[in-house]
Amino acid sequence: MDIFTNVEFIILLTLGFGVIAYLVGRYNKTAGAFATIIGTAITFLAVAYYGLNGELDFTADLFPAFSYGFSNLGIFFAVIVSFIFLMVSFFNPYFVGKYKYPALYSMLFMFSLAGAMGVFFTNDFLDMFFFFEFVVWTSLFLIPLGGSKKAATMYYGFSAAGSFALLFAIFMIQKETGRFNMETAFAHVFTTKQSVVIFFLFMFSGFAKLGAFPLHIWLPKVLGKAPDPISAVFSGGLEKLGAFVAIIGIIRFMPMAITDTAGLFAYLNATAFLSNGMTLLQLIIGLLGAMTIVFGTLMAIRQDDAKKLLAYSSMSNGGYILVAIVLMDSITFSGGLYHIVAHALASTAAFLAIGAVSRQTGTTKMSELGGHIHEMPITYMVYLIAIISMAGIPPMGGFISKWLIFQGVIDKGLIVIGAATFFGSIGSFLYVFRPLAALFLGQQLPQFKDKVKEAPILMLIPLLVLSALNIVTGIFPIQSMRFLNINAVLNELGLQSLVFNGWTIAGHNGGLQATLIAGMFGIGVVIAFVLFMLLKKSKQVGLMDTYTAGNFIYTEELLHYSVDFYAPLERLYEKYINIMKNFYKSLANKVKEFGRVTKYFFFTNKPEITVFWIIVVIAFLLWGDIV
Amino acid sequence: MMVGILTGFGVALFGFVWQTSLGGISRKVVARLQKRYGPKWYQEFLDIFKLLSKRATSHGWIFDLGVIMALGGIIATAAFMPVTNDIFAFADFDNFFIYVYLIAVGMLGMAMSASGSGNPLASIGVMRALTTMLAYEVPFMVIVMVIIKHAGTSSLRGIAMAQQDAGMWYMVALPLGFIVAFICLLGMLGKKPFETYIAPAELASGPMVEYGGKQLGMLFIMHEITVFIEVSLFVHLFLGGAENIFVFLLKYFVVYSVANLVSNVNGRFKIDQVVVFFYKWILPLAMIQAFVALYMNGWWN
Repeated sequence: MDIFTNVEFIILLTLGFGVIAYLVGRYNKTAGAFATIIGTAITFLAVAYYGLNGELDFTADLFPAFSYGFSNLGIFFAVIVSFIFLMVSFFNPYFVGKYKYPALYSMLFMFSLAGAMGVFFTNDFLDMFFFFEFVVWTSLFLIPLGGSKKAATMYYGFSAAGSFALLFAIFMIQKETGRFNMETAFAHVFTTKQSVVIFFLFMFSGFAKLGAFPLHIWLPKVLGKAPDPISAVFSGGLEKLGAFVAIIGIIRFMPMAITDTAGLFAYLNATAFLSNGMTLLQLIIGLLGAMTIVFGTLMAIRQDDAKKLLAYSSMSNGGYILVAIVLMDSITFSGGLYHIVAHALASTAAFLAIGAVSRQTGTTKMSELGGHIHEMPITYMVYLIAIISMAGIPPMGGFISKWLIFQGVIDKGLIVIGAATFFGSIGSFLYVFRPLAALFLGQQLPQFKDKVKEAPILMLIPLLVLSALNIVTGIFPIQSMRFLNINAVLNELGLQSLVFNGWTIAGHNGGLQATLIAGMFGIGVVIAFVLFMLLKKSKQVGLMDTYTAGNFIYTEELLHYSVDFYAPLERLYEKYINIMKNFYKSLANKVKEFGRVTKYFFFTNKPEITVFWIIVVIAFLLWGDIV
Repeated sequence: MMVGILTGFGVALFGFVWQTSLGGISRKVVARLQKRYGPKWYQEFLDIFKLLSKRATSHGWIFDLGVIMALGGIIATAAFMPVTNDIFAFADFDNFFIYVYLIAVGMLGMAMSASGSGNPLASIGVMRALTTMLAYEVPFMVIVMVIIKHAGTSSLRGIAMAQQDAGMWYMVALPLGFIVAFICLLGMLGKKPFETYIAPAELASGPMVEYGGKQLGMLFIMHEITVFIEVSLFVHLFLGGAENIFVFLLKYFVVYSVANLVSNVNGRFKIDQVVVFFYKWILPLAMIQAFVALYMNGWWN
């Protein structure tokens, strides 16, 4: 099995499975989808087993143009993303039939995984750009299968902007160091003003891929409109590519060593700004992260489509990751890494649970659904566990990461960013509860009665595995972090290790004993359960048998409160929600106008104008020879 | 560890008994305020035990499970609460964030159960409760952030002892913050300007509308312990904790009674007014306090 330790082989194998899935899928769509399960499983097992044991082989024999290199950060991301792909692939057999090109779907699914693996394993910036584009192009054709071309164009627009920013940064790095190699670039100390530009380009690219404010417009569109499994893949996996770029940008290219600068650049690097050791650059990125949190939260609260709601929640969690990374403090940074894990698990579980509901009922609109807990209790529990983690409530993984992030935010005394993280944290209770209440609880609507069944067993497997992991990451955070080599990642990035004292994680202002919290919660529930069982048994009544203040109501819809759930709150800010959208709209208009102007001058059907421009161009080209 | 766990549940039980008695006393106080005679001080106990012994109706398994999760979560939260400098369950784990987030498990359980009843009034109540939470929690956290940053620890007992050592309560050191936190406490307790989510005359008690019998009894127990947690949190954060149990009981009594009296001379906000009130007035106050405390302390030192 030695060959499976070779990264190049793993990537080629993943691509190969894509081709197999396509060929098989031509004859039988479901069989093609099953091939994706096998392919992702092999990729994940190889990456996780050999990667976490440090046995991966990075030599490139077949295609020497590509070079790969060992990095703990890359392996950390590769394990998570390939795991998310594996979990989602179990949904493929049930969903491919719905799409126009099922075989293509299976192929692109595998290809985008291969591209993502390439991004994480390569040690050459140009290869990284190539793999990045590969992911963009493969996922680009997956999105319109969900029925919205506009979402795909938007994704492409923002992604292309991000990719080109990355390309510029790469060229600038190459100009400075003379090579495209990552290690050379990381070792190089950038002392010129250009390093600020490189940093901003990297951040631009990271923001665009992560869907952070102000480059977030595509994220809800794509996640809301893409095929259900692809939404889960984006939220848990592909969006994390942005976090990967942002980490590289912040940790490796934060311009710390500019010496010969004055004016604006000196301010950017002033650490004495707030007497907490943070530079203005860090504050700017942190504030953008904070705005991402607040904006995502407010938008998530007012969505009616459950998938779109989760999309905005992904955006808001991306903000947490940004804030955690930019503080450059080992505890907070580990919180950011753990948040990537916790959010990937929780968000994928939530998206897949919604996907299961969508498959059984045909819609994800919250105003059209209700009472599905009675038909789909397992899906309900999966969603419940996922949202407990997303809201950062113990005993789930999200609590650990949020706790670690708060440590740094408080330690640095960041008021505005702190208020934003608290807001996002409380706000997440609001929005995650919304689908819980609207989809699963409340009245059982008559149009679905006796027509909806629990999801099939193969779909329940990933749901249950993800739920179990949500719980495990919350109860045994230290073991989970050791398993994922988080300390090795921290050390590799020049940060200190996270300190574990037995079962306690040491923070800036106290320790966290997650297992004890979970244990106490368990005992508390047992006490409550015993008390409940000891008391007289209740009489079961129907859902329509409720207090209605003396009115006679016989239709379920009238007793089902799910439309505009937070209407009084939404009314307070609904005037302001379109600010960014309008900005991009007017930007697009300006571009169009500019295009029209250009067209008017250059591409007309009047021969004299064309001749005029030809003369001008020739004159310009011959300038030195004639004059 | 075993002793700690047992002590923890002892604290939860103590909190229930103490708060329920105090709740009875304040009903009496309020009655006198309104020129009524009022019920006996142990009326709340009678109510709860009566409810627990009655046969009730249930709206399905999630209705019951939510109640169990709610009570279990709150008992677990209370178990981490230190009472005095010496009476506590876990020396190093009385982390502030545990209370904020573990209490949320209980809240989520209750919200889930209430929505599971299928009554729209309950759902509206839950919506309002969550909206109110979004309003009061942020300014409160900002102030607590200042306290944790200043005390250097997020352990409640550590914060209380730091105040005792310095001879200066945060109530005095952070006057604006104290006002902010007290108003937030009114929101947490569901006291009157902010009791929009219970609103008996309007929503038929909101989330509680469908409950009866043991489920309602258990939610009453949960409510009493929740109040105990929130008021104790306030005592430890702003009033310097307690050296012994009598000081604790006295401080607790004062805070709860003042909150209760303030509540009874106020009307009720509409839900959007609650949000606007907190974000227009209270959050800026909290921000000012935080800015002054964190960045301007060099000016007079």
